[in-house]
Amino acid sequence: MSDAARGDADAAWAQVATFTAELPRLKWFAAVGTALTPSVIAAAERYVAALGLAPSPIARVAGWREAAATAQRPDWSRDWWQAESACEQALQRQGAARFGLQPLLAALTALTEVAAELQTGAASALAAAGVDDPALAKVAAGAAAQACHQRGLALLAGSETGQAFTAKFELFAAGRWPLGIVGGTCFVF
Amino acid sequence: MSATAATPIKSVDALNTAPEEYRLAVRKIVRSHAVNELYGARVYDEPAIALAPTPYLKWLTCRIAMEEYGHHVRFRQLGEQMGIPETEMTPEGRKPLSIFEFPLKTWEEFCVVKLLADLAEIIQVEDLLKCSFMPLRNLAKVTMPEEIFHSQFGKDTCTELVKTEDGRKKVQAAINHYFPMMPAFFGKADSANNALYRKYGIKQRTNEDMRADFLKRVRDLVEGHLKLKLPEVAEAA
Repeated sequence: MSDAARGDADAAWAQVATFTAELPRLKWFAAVGTALTPSVIAAAERYVAALGLAPSPIARVAGWREAAATAQRPDWSRDWWQAESACEQALQRQGAARFGLQPLLAALTALTEVAAELQTGAASALAAAGVDDPALAKVAAGAAAQACHQRGLALLAGSETGQAFTAKFELFAAGRWPLGIVGGTCFVF
Repeated sequence: MSATAATPIKSVDALNTAPEEYRLAVRKIVRSHAVNELYGARVYDEPAIALAPTPYLKWLTCRIAMEEYGHHVRFRQLGEQMGIPETEMTPEGRKPLSIFEFPLKTWEEFCVVKLLADLAEIIQVEDLLKCSFMPLRNLAKVTMPEEIFHSQFGKDTCTELVKTEDGRKKVQAAINHYFPMMPAFFGKADSANNALYRKYGIKQRTNEDMRADFLKRVRDLVEGHLKLKLPEVAEAA
């Protein structure tokens, strides 16, 4: 490995370590249901575009019950989920080529162990909204943990393929929950 | 101090004062839980994310996979404190339970695995809630609420699925496939290992007792609640 490549690799590990350390400090789900700001709309548009999907309207979801219902609608976009999965697989291949599969998985496992604690944030947000639904807290925590894993993968792969996950994570970091594309609309809670 | 059913071992350090066979017995249980929790997450929970029919269920399954993996981590950490080599606490180093040899193919199968296997897990963990080795007892207390949620998830999703004729057939087919493997989950009748566990209060019940409890509770769920048929199987492993 050249000095430049080694420097890039060291920088990627440092970025993931910083990212992992920041996770517990973020205000998870703190802005759900509030009006969409221009920066949130822009991040959602970048997320959809980076997945290679056609532009779609960005719409707000106002409450936890509506969020749960949206995530269970039968007309959710299979293309959206497939695009994310394809992106994850590409990033995993790139990351494994860069660092080796086992070190890559070890770093992602450490990240996932930290992300496992995010349920507290989801449960607190639900409690603040007066909603008693432990399953929904787990759904939200699962979505957030998936986004952390994807963002970590993007950092380790160090390629433009990960732009979608960077934009998606921006939404979570802003206290939101992107619910994906349902019925042709990208919903942001 | 020697361990007996009446003298709990309060810490990993105190394990050094216990008889050799007590230490070996506890190691065997910790190792088995560490391996099987990881196997379950890899073979069932992670693949089920792709099979789940909605984003809601995909994210919920994602969370369940993380919790099962988290159980592995907790047992592995306890094992490490006890000096168990890491290689003995992963599926690569240990033979898995037979149920893990059948890869998941459908969402209905996953829901049935949670219904059946997580109930079996609850019965095992319930027994550890009175374990004489306190670190293991404490671990059982911590994991129990999540195991209960996973089992309830199996019940809730199967209840939803059996509302349609097609769903009923698929859930019944999955029960027919997985249920016959379940009695073996509790170990052999007249097991020497189990006798040792009970001698020292590590476990409270015989394998036969736990298996009978499982069969009663699962019959209530499958035949009483879901109104499906439980296949006939040999009850003794």
